[in-house]
Amino acid sequence: MSLKFVRSGMQTSIQDSGRSGFMHQGISRSGAMDPLSLQLANWLVSNPLNQATIEVTLIGPTIEFSQTLSIAICGAEFDLYLNGEPVFNNETINVKAADILEFKQLRNGARAYLAIAGELKVDSLFGSQSTHLTARFGGYKGRQIQANDVLKVLSAQETKKRELPEAYRPTFTGSYLLRCCRGIEADSFDQESLDSFYHSTYKVSVDSNRMGLRLEGKPVPFNTSVEIISSGLTQGSIQVPPSGLPIISSVDGQTIGGYPRVANVISSDLNILGQLKAGDKIGCLLVSRQKAWHHLKQKQTFLNKVLLS
Amino acid sequence: MNKVSKIKTKIQWNGDTALTLFFDEEAGEGLTRHILSLVEEFKSTFPGMITEAIPAYQSLTLCFDALAIETDTIEKSLGQVIEKGITETTGTVASRLIEIPVCYQEAYSPDLESLAEYCNLSPSEVIQQHTQNNYLVNMLGFLPGFLYLSGLVEQLNCPRKEIPSLKVSAGAVGIGGNQTGIYPVESPGGWHIIGQTPISIFSPTAKQPFIAQPLDKIRFVPIDIKKFEQLKREQA
Repeated sequence: MSLKFVRSGMQTSIQDSGRSGFMHQGISRSGAMDPLSLQLANWLVSNPLNQATIEVTLIGPTIEFSQTLSIAICGAEFDLYLNGEPVFNNETINVKAADILEFKQLRNGARAYLAIAGELKVDSLFGSQSTHLTARFGGYKGRQIQANDVLKVLSAQETKKRELPEAYRPTFTGSYLLRCCRGIEADSFDQESLDSFYHSTYKVSVDSNRMGLRLEGKPVPFNTSVEIISSGLTQGSIQVPPSGLPIISSVDGQTIGGYPRVANVISSDLNILGQLKAGDKIGCLLVSRQKAWHHLKQKQTFLNKVLLS
Repeated sequence: MNKVSKIKTKIQWNGDTALTLFFDEEAGEGLTRHILSLVEEFKSTFPGMITEAIPAYQSLTLCFDALAIETDTIEKSLGQVIEKGITETTGTVASRLIEIPVCYQEAYSPDLESLAEYCNLSPSEVIQQHTQNNYLVNMLGFLPGFLYLSGLVEQLNCPRKEIPSLKVSAGAVGIGGNQTGIYPVESPGGWHIIGQTPISIFSPTAKQPFIAQPLDKIRFVPIDIKKFEQLKREQA
């Protein structure tokens, strides 16, 4: 069984839940920028939840299938057509040989995840099949998909039809409140600067990618005389470079940071970062670490009701 | 004999799932050994809970699976391990001397002349100074396989570029501030590029993807363009 990319889309790549345990060698997590949508798509085709899928970004591909199998799409909503007939996110779709799936107009969000019932045949490197786009390894030839690429699928099959319950279908409005903890270098910012940061609305810059999301809006001044000691840069860290315009680090980012971090997006909100696109509006809300842990546990319990069923 | 190592350390939360330890000690071999030993200690004290242990010159960041740990007590538990002092476990780590060929000729050293001018040296003096010392690999990080080196002579210190270059090629050898290093993959970068190595610093599909490990020593060996091209061919 294979998938042929008739059209590649803007940045289509193979991603699973990412790599863990290699940051001390400079290798960041990589993996799906919205790991929640990845898991839901895999669930719909009865795959292991963290298995490799196809991450589709802003402009989607056109794909031809070589045999009967089940697929599912979660995350960003595109107008989807199978042989010219509309199909939809959040449910199992069965395709036949020579069927053509088209991702057309993007309706909301930024990244969709196409799960295939079976296993994409790509090598695993550093514990994951994900494409590390900045370091150019993993996934399909270490790069994003190009037109005429053919992906092999092992043990492709038709699976039990599933539908995502209404409560689990995300809505991406283009305007988001990101809950944050205090950053490790928050002391480099005076109270006025912090207040301004938490009360401002930022716009996602067009220069955003899988390394980081750049924000436009009111600069956040900081005290440059406070010495910054470089340390591990985790996903969701909001760094402020000399320009004062915040950058939220993401999955393909560097592993060590030297700019002051004003805040960190809490773990349970990290998947939203994968759905941000240029022009989206962002506000940040300060919460305690205890709240952050509570939200994470609550979210996992809620998800497990579906994902473990 | 193993010795007990204790360094004044400050612990701080870094987001909701990581703690960073800041060490009150100069970067160097002693601190690198201490950090490596600490990582071993934490991994055996908290099995399966630490997802990443990221060293930097004077810090160590430990990431956790927040669903797998007692979030309320982890900070205290770490503090207790540090308070007790740790037994250095890296006394026997073999430190290798790795020679890295670098072509400093004009075609591969776009910033050599301007850096030489800033340092009040001739380009050949810069090359001489850059190749005369062994550099210690303090750790890896930042980019895949990037080596954090120490040992750059003070005379070659030069502030980073005000406007970083959008594209620095893999293998470029640069100086930024009081650091020198090699770009392992193509990336944007703010260092002054004074040479280029033909060998791969990061080879993801190789058995040994990284050219060096912490505590190894690096020495840059100047080569001409002919040798550069020959080595480049051998790599391919």
